[in-house]
Amino acid sequence: MILSKNLIWPVIFISPLLIAETFSDEDFDLDALMGMDVQATSAMKRAQSAFETASSIYVLNKEQIINSGATSIPEALKLVPGLIVRQLDNNQYAISTRGLASRFSSKLLVMIDGQSLYTPQFSAVYWEALNVPLYDIERIEVIRGQGGLLWGSNANNGVINIITKNSLDTRGIFANATTGNLINSDANFRYGGDIGSNGSYRVYGHIKNVNASKKSTAYKETLLAASDTNKQHSIGFRADFTPNDAWDLMFQGDITKSKIGQNLRAAIGDAHQTIAFSENFKRTDSRVMARIDNRISADANQMIQVSWLKQSGSEIYLKEEFESIDIDYQMNFIYQSLQLDWGLSYRNNDVASEESILLNIDKGISNIQQYGGLFQIQYSFIPDKINLTLGTKLDHNDLTGWENQPSARLIYKPIKNHLAWAAVSRSIRTPALVEFDYNFKVTGVSVADALGTNTGVDMLDNLLIPSYLNGNDQVESENFTSYELGYRISESQWSIDISAFHTDAENVAVYEPNNQVEQFYPALALLQAGQIAQAAQALTRTQLNFDIISVAESTTKGFDIVLAWQPFDSLNAELGYSLTNFAYQLPAGTSAIVGNDSINRQVFVKANYALSESHKFLAALRVENSTAYNTENYTALDLTWNWQINSQWSAAISGKNLFAGSHLEFNNTQEAYTIPTYIDESIAFTITTVF
Amino acid sequence: MLKFKAFIYTIITLALLFSSSGFAIDKNKEYKLKAGFLYNFARFGQWQTPENNRDAFTVCSPDQHFIDVAKSALKDRTIKNLPLTTKHVLFNQTSLKACDLLFITTNTITDWKKADDVSYRNIMVIGETEKFIENGGHIRFFLTGGKIRFEIAPFRLQEAGLSMSSKVLRLARIIER
Repeated sequence: MILSKNLIWPVIFISPLLIAETFSDEDFDLDALMGMDVQATSAMKRAQSAFETASSIYVLNKEQIINSGATSIPEALKLVPGLIVRQLDNNQYAISTRGLASRFSSKLLVMIDGQSLYTPQFSAVYWEALNVPLYDIERIEVIRGQGGLLWGSNANNGVINIITKNSLDTRGIFANATTGNLINSDANFRYGGDIGSNGSYRVYGHIKNVNASKKSTAYKETLLAASDTNKQHSIGFRADFTPNDAWDLMFQGDITKSKIGQNLRAAIGDAHQTIAFSENFKRTDSRVMARIDNRISADANQMIQVSWLKQSGSEIYLKEEFESIDIDYQMNFIYQSLQLDWGLSYRNNDVASEESILLNIDKGISNIQQYGGLFQIQYSFIPDKINLTLGTKLDHNDLTGWENQPSARLIYKPIKNHLAWAAVSRSIRTPALVEFDYNFKVTGVSVADALGTNTGVDMLDNLLIPSYLNGNDQVESENFTSYELGYRISESQWSIDISAFHTDAENVAVYEPNNQVEQFYPALALLQAGQIAQAAQALTRTQLNFDIISVAESTTKGFDIVLAWQPFDSLNAELGYSLTNFAYQLPAGTSAIVGNDSINRQVFVKANYALSESHKFLAALRVENSTAYNTENYTALDLTWNWQINSQWSAAISGKNLFAGSHLEFNNTQEAYTIPTYIDESIAFTITTVF
Repeated sequence: MLKFKAFIYTIITLALLFSSSGFAIDKNKEYKLKAGFLYNFARFGQWQTPENNRDAFTVCSPDQHFIDVAKSALKDRTIKNLPLTTKHVLFNQTSLKACDLLFITTNTITDWKKADDVSYRNIMVIGETEKFIENGGHIRFFLTGGKIRFEIAPFRLQEAGLSMSSKVLRLARIIER
């Protein structure tokens, strides 16, 4: 990605000198022109200028998504340098950046057209159930580092915003079908057309049937066969109306039903022993949103967005429902050398989880409301030279009250095509209900381990008592302060983007054993009286609690470098290196819930090569070297050949995870329940038609 | 809660204060982009009966502001091996004689409508106002999602002795007769 393509579009401060500049060759491309915004102001949830953004941003464009042969969003995200994308199996992912990736807590905010997918039960995104038609994505914006002010809470490690195409640009028929050694079948269909003289729409459907991996899973000696199947079907729509140049209306919705196989381990045995098992779980994920954009003038706009999200998940031991309504209002305008952005937001979350042998719930919190506002001022000290952005977001949520997320960002352009930036920002992560209200049974602990000593009776010593990860209402928001520095150079044939960061976190949730020794006294008294059977009976009424407490600190530091090079039109290449050093500062007696002290290194190489108009190749190589995931280092190559047969038909063949062999990508089995599966190489063949 | 309300009232007041003080209508960026689109229409359009032995390809507009922006944005460009030039014009046959492409802006639409005795044969006429095609124009820009899109009436182009490549047509909203 050469930054200067269609991404560098100065939006923040209008300077007549700048406007008078002559177009560069690539800006004359019709596609590039159609991607450029007319507005000087922009809705803040949609970053427009990669070059001018005072954060570490990467924009994955639609050509790369299509050329990669990706069949899911996580696969497409593997094309982003500096993003940690690790598979637990064929369906489940741990994705993050600048921190620890985890299945359940990645501290990463994921949005589709500005609609947050964050679930309050777990700080997780169900990647396996996320359906966004890849062929109708305009771009994916990835912010490495925090974005709390603009995007809201829980954007601590980064933000991923998936932006779909206007339906005006997707009129016509699109259909594709993929098959391969892993994907049994994956088929998409879209039809788009006009509505009257100022509207357009598209409807789409998707079905997917994925086989289980061929290799066995990794759980200790238990050789469960892989069961990572996925049967999924989705339908969705988007409609856009433009009654005139000042107003835009957009509606969209999607419903996805998934039946996904997984391997788990949990203390479900009669005597609390941990048992590995396979199951199929079902999910239904629906979302609907409406947005009205109003262009007040070339220098001012406002936007209101109302979105609804409903997710239902049903596993053997976990049944959860989550429904949210978001209302967001934003206004942006320029007044002389100032740009002012302000907005208000409201979110209503309804949640329901059923108790099971693995889950106790304290209060049964079923509703969480959040509301707040943001205000940001951007001032140009020297037009097109030095810009300062100051702002804050004030939010109230029912769990932890008012939260403040201020940020200061400075841009300095020493010479043409060079930009330096610095930022200091604070972001918070509100506790998920798993930390605040839920108690999950983790494992069975032997009496000897629980007491820290032997009783002298083997039968009692080996007895297992259940242990719970005890979420409680004393848990506070995690608090991140981040210092970032960056420098970019963008020339016509190459660009470089360097950023370094240091993030200190406070109130990090960890756990502390709360053994409640007195609960063992009756059993010990019976033991002393020689009543072994009664002592054993008394022990069945005991349990160990690992209380979650907000006492730890953590430090994350590192840097990202992305070098892009386009020696000629037919070749562009990227070379990336990312380093993240994560360290907990754990008070005595506490342990980390997610991850451990670790160093994560990634070397990233990507090349797009057009042999001719009709033959294109995309190769992405990732060298993952990390101590965070309890796995071997691995190198994986994804390679895709696209053949444009004629104007209507194209074919592609993709190889994924080539040369990596059968490998594990995520083996943090202490993060409750998950059992990783070996990730295989896979080959897929796709045929696509457009008319 | 009171603090929050005070905060909200402050920002609303502030916003209203700024919005009522008026914005400079800055269409430079929009016009620069539209000049880029005109360049593409010129590249992909076909002029079926080239009447003049021209020595330049001329983009015209009665709007001096647009011409100023287009002149610098399209500097040193060529179309069909001819140097691209820009020209500020009046609505009379003499002034329009050299034009291959004419852009009627919001500010100049009233004058264009008045000048109904002028022939635009062999000139691609592009506008940006509502009902521009109903009023006889060939191509009209509109905005959606803050981005420029356009509608094309191929039959109008044909009537003027022009046509447009499918590369452009596939991106447009097509207006049928």
